Amino acid sequence: MSNTNKEVLLSVKHVDIAFNNEGKKFRAVKDANFDIYKGETFALVGESGSGKTTIGRAILRINECDKGEIVFKGKRISGKISKEEDTNVIRSIQMIFQDPAASLNERATIEYCISEGLYNFHLYKDEADRITKVDQALTSVGLLPEHKSRYPHEFSGGQRQRVGIARAMIMEPELIVADEPISALDVSIRAQVLNLMNKFKEEKGLTYLFIAHDLSVVRFIADRIAVIHHGRIVEIAESEELFRYPLHPYTISLLSAVPMPDPQIEKKKELVVYDELKRDLSGPKPVLQEIRPGHFIFANDREMAEYEAKLQVMEKEHEALGE
Amino acid sequence: MNENELFEFADFDETKSEHIAAPRYSYWGSVWKTFFRDRFTVFVSILLLFLICFAMIQPMISGYDPLVAPNVNNPSMRLQAPSAQYIFGTDNVGNSVFDAVWAGTRNSIIVSFVCTFINMVIGIAVGAVWGFSKRLDRIMIEVYNVLSNIPYLLLAMILQYILGAGFKPLIITMCCTDWIFVAYFIRTQVMIIRDREYNLASKCLGTSTGTMITKNILPYLISVIMTYISRTIPSYISAEVFLSYMGLGLGAKNASLGKLISQYTSYMNSYPHMFWIPVFILALISISLYIVGQKLSDAADPRTHM
Ligand SMILES: Nc1ncnc2c1ncn2[C@@H]1O[C@H](COP(=O)(O)OP(=O)(O)OP(=O)(O)O)[C@@H](O)[C@H]1O
Ligand SMILES: [Mg+2]
Repeated sequence: MSNTNKEVLLSVKHVDIAFNNEGKKFRAVKDANFDIYKGETFALVGESGSGKTTIGRAILRINECDKGEIVFKGKRISGKISKEEDTNVIRSIQMIFQDPAASLNERATIEYCISEGLYNFHLYKDEADRITKVDQALTSVGLLPEHKSRYPHEFSGGQRQRVGIARAMIMEPELIVADEPISALDVSIRAQVLNLMNKFKEEKGLTYLFIAHDLSVVRFIADRIAVIHHGRIVEIAESEELFRYPLHPYTISLLSAVPMPDPQIEKKKELVVYDELKRDLSGPKPVLQEIRPGHFIFANDREMAEYEAKLQVMEKEHEALGE
Repeated sequence: MNENELFEFADFDETKSEHIAAPRYSYWGSVWKTFFRDRFTVFVSILLLFLICFAMIQPMISGYDPLVAPNVNNPSMRLQAPSAQYIFGTDNVGNSVFDAVWAGTRNSIIVSFVCTFINMVIGIAVGAVWGFSKRLDRIMIEVYNVLSNIPYLLLAMILQYILGAGFKPLIITMCCTDWIFVAYFIRTQVMIIRDREYNLASKCLGTSTGTMITKNILPYLISVIMTYISRTIPSYISAEVFLSYMGLGLGAKNASLGKLISQYTSYMNSYPHMFWIPVFILALISISLYIVGQKLSDAADPRTHM
């Protein structure tokens, strides 16, 4: 593992995000702490309502952090920042939304939707230049320049999602927060959108924060995975490592939900249900600790010892299998 | 024949599958098409257009003036029944009811259109900003509480007393506080769609609040604004009629439907047509305005365009 010599693009440092629900404070994100390295796809996985979108929106400065800070390229971007830096953040961090039907302005043409960012910062020399840029953006996502004058409702879900990608890409961002970009899409076109995202990653050296609610989607596209449960990040590891040595019971339950391609195995597979109440939570307060280089787990010292033992057993098994 | 001769590889052009075959969509084009699809709507629109044009032009030709009554000293000219010369007959001072009614209609329409326009412009502008700003909301809610509780009739009486009767005082009376209701309505609408995902997307692209209002919010509100207008215009006609009836309207110098109705009420039993004709014209214009407005608002909703 050579994370130490990778450049950190974004760090989320001990971030707490709370919402006011009729006077009561609801902590949607608790002490989130992770780094995203330049050029990687970092996945954030957890069930519905676990606070994934909330973290994503905090990075885009839509949600405010109650505690902690978010640092992008060495500069704090959470809380109050100068107008100039705000512009910078907007241009460097873009978002792809979950619902392509809801995230495009239905009363505007595709041309306007894609040009919106260009207009806001006047990122074009003249009208002809803007049109060229829009055409390029459309072709780069596999759409046609003739689509410019159409309205979003004339497109299929997959096409709309690609319009959403083109709209983000035209800003030439460095980081893209993709909030479940394929969950609302038909299974048959999911691969198309994922391939497109991978293409941009390779061509432009993009970095992704990829939000998903199940591990199966993430396995083949993420370099590293963070598992989040009830606003708390419980495990972070490289994809390979996480699938090979899952430690936290919640991660294990998520993994058990990943469908197996073999029906015989799938039939025998046991679904592990994670129930926080049934766990032994005694001992000091758990924190996110590094158990192996790059593999973090939310545990206290007692649990840490258990995980360590478990991990050693698993490593032995793998070694035996490998030989 | 071998396989190669029997079969050949078909070309596959990926861009073909992206092509949209449907004819080009245009928002306003579809609005008009949907609007004119219904025969009844077309009929009412033509009727309304005719009534408005007629009300605007006829008084110019007749030159009706409520203060001028050339036949007042000729008893035979008073209270004539409808005839070829005086289509709606003559009134108690010997003037043509037909001329009086259309002059009154003209003024009522002008007052209601001007008031609607002023209230809508102020109300939409204020409401759009109000709906976006949480800080402004706290102040504006107080302003709303105060303005919306001022008794309308009292305000009309005070302003009448200060400014006298006429077009300007009446319009000021009807615009003084009414814009706050439009603003409140728009504020609520804006709040409903403000946090929709496409607006978050615009925010992520750095779009300013002003552009968001004009490009993201107001286009979505065309239909509800249209409904609002279609209720407002007739309500201002009624308000003008009511205030004039109460003697708080356009004053003696200007013809007014309300004043005519109030004058002719005393002839309701002896010469009922004098009372019912202005009432009927008032109802006809109000109803057709309402219908056309509703149909326009339906047509402005893209869900009806399919
Ligand atoms: N604006 C808000 N006001 C109050 N509570 C909110 C708000 N936004 C989110 N929440 C709450 O915060 C929690 C986390 O929500 P979030 O949208 O981040 O979940 P998620 O992990 O993205 O779920 P999903 O997979 O369903 O998208 C939820 O319980 C939600 O009800
Ligand atoms: Mg979400």
